Amino acid sequence: MLLEFKDISYQYPGSTNEVFKNLSCKISTPGFHALFGPSGVGKTTLAKMMTGGVKDYSGDISTSGIRQILYTYNLERLPGWSSVRDHLQTTTPDSGKDQIDDLVDAFGLAECMQSRFARLSLGQQNRTNLARYLLQDFDLLIMDESLANVDEITKEKIILMMKTIFPDRCFLYISHSVAEVAKFCRQILVLRGKHKNPQTVALLGQDYRDDKALINKDLEQTMLEIVNAA
Amino acid sequence: MLHRRIYQFFIIYFLGIATLFLIKYVLNLSDYVIPSPLEIWQTSQSVFIRYFFNVVDTLTVAILGHLLSICLATIVGILGRLTLWVGSFIRVAAYNIQAYPIVAVAPIIFILLGDGLSSRLLITAMICYFPLLLSFIGILSEPVTEIEHFYEATLRMNWRLQVRIRAFENVNKITTVIVGSGTLAMVGTIVSEFIAANAGIGHSIRMALYQSDLAKILVALFLIGICTSLYLVCLEALGQVVQKRLQGAS
Repeated sequence: MLLEFKDISYQYPGSTNEVFKNLSCKISTPGFHALFGPSGVGKTTLAKMMTGGVKDYSGDISTSGIRQILYTYNLERLPGWSSVRDHLQTTTPDSGKDQIDDLVDAFGLAECMQSRFARLSLGQQNRTNLARYLLQDFDLLIMDESLANVDEITKEKIILMMKTIFPDRCFLYISHSVAEVAKFCRQILVLRGKHKNPQTVALLGQDYRDDKALINKDLEQTMLEIVNAA
Repeated sequence: MLHRRIYQFFIIYFLGIATLFLIKYVLNLSDYVIPSPLEIWQTSQSVFIRYFFNVVDTLTVAILGHLLSICLATIVGILGRLTLWVGSFIRVAAYNIQAYPIVAVAPIIFILLGDGLSSRLLITAMICYFPLLLSFIGILSEPVTEIEHFYEATLRMNWRLQVRIRAFENVNKITTVIVGSGTLAMVGTIVSEFIAANAGIGHSIRMALYQSDLAKILVALFLIGICTSLYLVCLEALGQVVQKRLQGAS
């Protein structure tokens, strides 16, 4: 077990409606996993519970072998006073400095390095933001729609590269795309809202990567399972 | 920018003068109440140079007071952004104290410090300090979550970085507030000189008031308007240069 939620219940301050009621689920292995569900079901809230951003919940979140959890989302911005390159140089710890150029190439960001963040397209901004998080020391990275506005080909290239470079790290990918989570993720936690029981369903995804072929029939089956579960 | 401000000032000033003459001739008022155009012209020739140097004196004090108030507002704004009780106390105190008219406190300052430079400087700084402070506290207390999140998550955040992020993100607001408070600095200096000081254009206006000489007051107002416009244009130009440099060319 890497990460486990046990009997989590939570309601927003000032609200009488519970977002979670006795929610339980777990992630057992490193790799690329997904948190999937309709808008407003509590994916971001659950992610913030892991990072300590939401505290007053009941139940227990336990981790094993995870020291540093980072959460990133697609609306984040870099400060505008320096270029993207300067920012990456100053915010990357020494252990990650060697990886800057590799990540920049793999993310297709070479031409953006001299620019200020505000001048980039939305897709470039999201890729830049994700790259700077990947250069940090972390054991679990929660990616809340971090690849929004990125074209499908680049997105696939980035995810496959992340799996190759960081095989021992854990990623929790929050997305609304059934096809994406079915194709790339190993374990898919489907959040179904408090009126359904159980509130989460764990499914196995296709975990597509460079050294593992993708079988279309299995992918379609996984997608169907996700849609039915949600 | 300069010609537009001067142009706007001329329109307002000469509209005011025209209104005065309209009142004078409609109500058939004597030259003692509202002087004739010829008398205003003759007065301006006799006092223009002296008043010009008085306005420059006032403007110098206004600029110094303005700088002082910006520094004070920045320091208190930085402290006021704290989530601790100190920050909360400073915010509440700032909101309450700014409601108190500084002009009412001005006599105490003159009694304690005399009618020299220090009193004028202090009153000027206090008059433009509170609007600046309220804006600075508002700007520096408001988190820019989408930028700060990364630094919080990676434990890199410190107070200097936080202030830098918030100031940078609100540089347009800060520039506008500083330019706006430039007028207040000039007003504050003139008010302090009018109350009790022994120099500056406010002092000259007070003397003219004792002599019931409206012509001198109109000449003083003309020079004040021109100099204030010039100062505001300089501030705006400086603000634009700072914004361009901060935002970079690439």
